[in-house]
Amino acid sequence: MTLGRYIARKSGWYLVALVAAVSLNFLLPRLVPGNPVDVIVSNLARGGSVTGEQQKAIYEGFVAEFGLDAPLWQQFLTYLGKVFSGDLGTSFANYPASVNDLIGQALPWSIAVQLPAVLIGWIAGNLVGAIAAFRGGNWDRSVFTSALFLSAMPYYCLSILLLYGFAVVAGIFPVGGAYSLGLTPEFSVEFLWDAVSYYWLPFLSLVVVFIGGQAVGMRSMAIYELGGDYVNYARAMGIRDNRITQYIFRNAMLPQITGLALAIGTLVGGALITELVFSYPGVGTLLFNAITQNDYPVIQAVTLIITVAVLVANFLVEIAYGIIDPRIRAASAGEK
Amino acid sequence: MSHDDAAPARMERAVLARAHDIRCVYGGGEEDFTAVDGVSLELGEGEILGLAGESGCGKTTLGNALAMIATPPLYVLSGTLEIDGESIDLSTLSVADLKRHRPYRGRTVSMLPQGAMNSISPTLRIRSLVHDVMRAHDPRVSRDEALDLARDRLKMLEMPVRVLDSYAHQLSGGMKQRMITVISTLQNPRLLIADEPTSALDVSSQRMLVEMLLAMVEHRIMSGVVFVTHDLPVLSQVSDRLAIMSAGRIVETGPTRRLVEQPEHDYTRTLLSSVLDPSRETWERGRRRAGLDAGAAGPAAPAAPAPEKEVGAR
Repeated sequence: MTLGRYIARKSGWYLVALVAAVSLNFLLPRLVPGNPVDVIVSNLARGGSVTGEQQKAIYEGFVAEFGLDAPLWQQFLTYLGKVFSGDLGTSFANYPASVNDLIGQALPWSIAVQLPAVLIGWIAGNLVGAIAAFRGGNWDRSVFTSALFLSAMPYYCLSILLLYGFAVVAGIFPVGGAYSLGLTPEFSVEFLWDAVSYYWLPFLSLVVVFIGGQAVGMRSMAIYELGGDYVNYARAMGIRDNRITQYIFRNAMLPQITGLALAIGTLVGGALITELVFSYPGVGTLLFNAITQNDYPVIQAVTLIITVAVLVANFLVEIAYGIIDPRIRAASAGEK
Repeated sequence: MSHDDAAPARMERAVLARAHDIRCVYGGGEEDFTAVDGVSLELGEGEILGLAGESGCGKTTLGNALAMIATPPLYVLSGTLEIDGESIDLSTLSVADLKRHRPYRGRTVSMLPQGAMNSISPTLRIRSLVHDVMRAHDPRVSRDEALDLARDRLKMLEMPVRVLDSYAHQLSGGMKQRMITVISTLQNPRLLIADEPTSALDVSSQRMLVEMLLAMVEHRIMSGVVFVTHDLPVLSQVSDRLAIMSAGRIVETGPTRRLVEQPEHDYTRTLLSSVLDPSRETWERGRRRAGLDAGAAGPAAPAAPAPEKEVGAR
């Protein structure tokens, strides 16, 4: 099977998954009892300064604006049209701010923490695991024990420990936030230098746990591959160790790539909590605030973005898998 | 092969290799287990030496020691291999020994492994392995040079050249085994250790592989073969001489025909008597023992005599 056909086949399946995810994303908030506009209007009425007539006018205005008076199928089509044109709606809680603006402010912070954590964590974890397997002995024992301990630790737990140790006790890093009060986000050396000091703790709390998980997996796979017949045969042919190591690394990497796809989902979930611990103004904090305020458009948008991010990451991983392992392409085509 | 001619033919041969006092143990536990106990062997130029014995007698371990690929928990405690005027210390008591042996592997002594089915990395094309094997002993060999040699070898052995573009999973078991045989002999090794290369093959694939090995010896691609197997019928077709192994020691050696027809050691007699005979007579005896009709259709005639190898033609 050619790589092109393999990619086309995978693209089709991921498109189906995307449509299903978008549909669920639309339906789930609407299955929750109650009307989100009721919450907004009741919040307004709590102060006592809004009359009944005004409440009714506000209610009808919101219902019309959010399209909640239309039948469900029409709402769905409107939603689809808006999503695919890049319009994520208007926030209930921060009315009349658009969800696009809120996401646009929060997303760069999350990407800045999560993307390097995924890439560096995956590469470093696999290298550490592979080296531990090759070297064996005390090196392997100490790396394995440490990696196992780290991988078993929940993200929020390490976040709290790092926060307490490095921010509260040692005072090396700031306690929370993404930049100092009084500064405005901009591309200047002063701002970036300040932001980096806030960046380390959330980044470390994600990357260290991720390295641990990847190292444990890679070590096990590399040890398994080291005993493979093809390794013994390559040695018997006099092939040099560094070349044999490349064979082993490539084959041991295959399950690790699958693991990466799963780990990205876990990492995104873990990052949401990490952001809360460090009061980092990313998507996690935005989602938490939206949930507490019943801000459905924001909840929907954040969930959609996370879903799309995980789907894209999984898609890229599957393509990489197909390139690296010819058997996967053959199996997809039903070949021998 | 004319086994009657084998002994005189051997006498005329120059000595290719002498293995002396090989001792191997499996360690790492509370007690070491001695797998090979002071074995010495001699092999003539162009000779195929069959190494036979029951499972666990130490044949494969001896093969690994000769091929210099013993890794923990297997340790070669002592032993030398004299070949090409050089005496190679086979002991593997440290990591440095494994590195010291690397230049000899694949070129001086090559290995045709037992597990050929999985001997090629699943993510590697055959042509890449061919290049890696050639480059292992000469880093200047280009990919084209390596592939040209492999193509010539495949054509000589009447094998399809397109196999080079395949991955291992795209080849049948028999083709994979023959391809591994070609790769193992690309460097024209002086000595080839063939470790049960036919054990996982059907009879027709076994025959193709055996004929291919004989053709390779005939073309002087390798100078000698130690053929390790417990399959005595295969060995009787292939080997010039047999060495019978039991409990880590060689108990009897001799020309194949003499050893098969007039075994001297009790263990050799027991081993030979254990070989199933697919003749009509044996079949009828088995049917009678089981209380069945011995007159039913069975093997029409005794098995065809083994194809003979022309020793003189080599």
